Amino acid sequence: MATSATTLEPAPPQEAPRRRRIPRKATTEPLWVRLLLITIAVGFIAGFLLMPLFIIFKESLLKGIRVYYDALENPHAVSAIKLTLLTAAIVVPLNTLFGVAAAWAISRFSFPGKRALVTLIDLPLWVSPIVAGLMFVILFGRQGLLNSLFWSGGKQVFPILFEPAGIVIATLFVTFPFVARILIPLMQAQGSAEEEAALTLGARGWQTFVYITLPKIKWGLFYGIILCNARAIGEFGAVSAVSGHIQGLTNTIPLHIELMYNSSQMEAAFALASILSMLALLTLVLKSFFGWQAERQAKEALESTP
Amino acid sequence: MSVVIESIHKTFGRFNALEGIDLKVETGELVALLGPSGSGKTTLLRIIAGLEFPDDGPGNIFFHGTDVTERDAYERRAGFVFQSYALFQHMTVFENIAFGLRVRSRATRPSEAEINARVNDLLGRVQLTQFAKRFPNTLSGGQRQRVALARALAIEPRVLLLDEPFGALDAKVRKELRRWLRAFHEQTRLTTLFVTHDQEEAFEVSDRVVILGEGRIQQIGSPAEVRANPANDFVRKFLGLDDESELLIPSPLHEGSRARELDAV
Repeated sequence: MATSATTLEPAPPQEAPRRRRIPRKATTEPLWVRLLLITIAVGFIAGFLLMPLFIIFKESLLKGIRVYYDALENPHAVSAIKLTLLTAAIVVPLNTLFGVAAAWAISRFSFPGKRALVTLIDLPLWVSPIVAGLMFVILFGRQGLLNSLFWSGGKQVFPILFEPAGIVIATLFVTFPFVARILIPLMQAQGSAEEEAALTLGARGWQTFVYITLPKIKWGLFYGIILCNARAIGEFGAVSAVSGHIQGLTNTIPLHIELMYNSSQMEAAFALASILSMLALLTLVLKSFFGWQAERQAKEALESTP
Repeated sequence: MSVVIESIHKTFGRFNALEGIDLKVETGELVALLGPSGSGKTTLLRIIAGLEFPDDGPGNIFFHGTDVTERDAYERRAGFVFQSYALFQHMTVFENIAFGLRVRSRATRPSEAEINARVNDLLGRVQLTQFAKRFPNTLSGGQRQRVALARALAIEPRVLLLDEPFGALDAKVRKELRRWLRAFHEQTRLTTLFVTHDQEEAFEVSDRVVILGEGRIQQIGSPAEVRANPANDFVRKFLGLDDESELLIPSPLHEGSRARELDAV
């Protein structure tokens, strides 16, 4: 047996020089290329993302913690923070609802004008926010298209323009696409087989949505909400047009920052900027946390295999 | 429970999927809907389940004498097994099977203990007891298929509808499951319709075969009848009998049709 096996083997090369091979993947690159790419990536992140963040916090605390707190305790600043949070609290749930409804309609039904609707959902992303804001000024303004409806005797019938309601409407428009845009491709990819299965098992429409669809889109939905929220808090252009910049009434955090900056109250501007930055960081932490949860859940599902 | 289908039409845009289907499936029968792709067999199955609705017109569907044409899918209690299984990915095998019981209205919902007992019984019957806590993405194709079957059976369906139930499985598992389905049917006598494009499968498992082509029923009969007397050119061509060579058709697994086959000979 052994002899016949050896005769079949090709003769081994005599005294072949043994080269030591470093195991590497086919997709890897030479060391210098890797180092260059890593340097560029890290350098960019440090220079363009971390440095501004650091400067914001440093500048805001430059004149001491007392000045920082004074700036935040200023009644106008407090009112700006309140208005921003209130706007987000109204806008985010509404756009979540709109987004889910739109994604549901687009991914589950076919109807005339579906393509047009998909394009239109993106409209707020294509239009510059300031243009969107001006559109609302024209719509609700004194000489506006709907002036007979909204104005009477030189006063607004429903207080919208230069009022908190206007801020909410403008923000609603600008942040409309986020939830829908993330859910549409997700729901289209998932298809509706599981929903159909639920129906044949006796589940009603709402049960199918709550027990089957919602768990399937949960993480995408959360991601969309986070993006929508971040934009609602940070929106400047559209809000600026409809706000009228009334201190203590219609100034949001970004508008108040601009006001402070223009009036050379740098520490106040940076104090509020640090609040916005912290909200952004909190968003990031939440997003990572829920992403991590999602990954853990997927892993657990796999590990239940003996 | 019997299923009666009367002059069902279905069009998708300008495509006529079904053009006047009449079919009666007796209580306890196992019927195969056999046909090439695009013949409308899956559409017919989905219409019976209430996942599609027939075109307006004279068409009706009766479950045991009751008109269910206008009923929604959730009211029909038709157990449906999907070609791609359509298991709930975020639920364990146990919860998948329990789903149909849990979504019932409070008045008809079984107690937690009853649900447990029913699901465990089904897990035993499909030989998946040790997989109760697993998630569907950790199972093999054959195991997933059995979960889908157990899930459909959990609601005590009035009729069992299977869409290409063995389509995505490898040949060996397919044969096993086929035998299992036949044996299961002998036991329960649950009225069953299954869709397939595989004539071997249809002939081996079913009591009667319905051959669909171009949106119409081309022939209905026992495997032996269809083989002995193809009704028309379409059936002959589809079965590969047009060149007058005898096709190798496996002998059916069950005694009933074997007797009928012998009668035919």
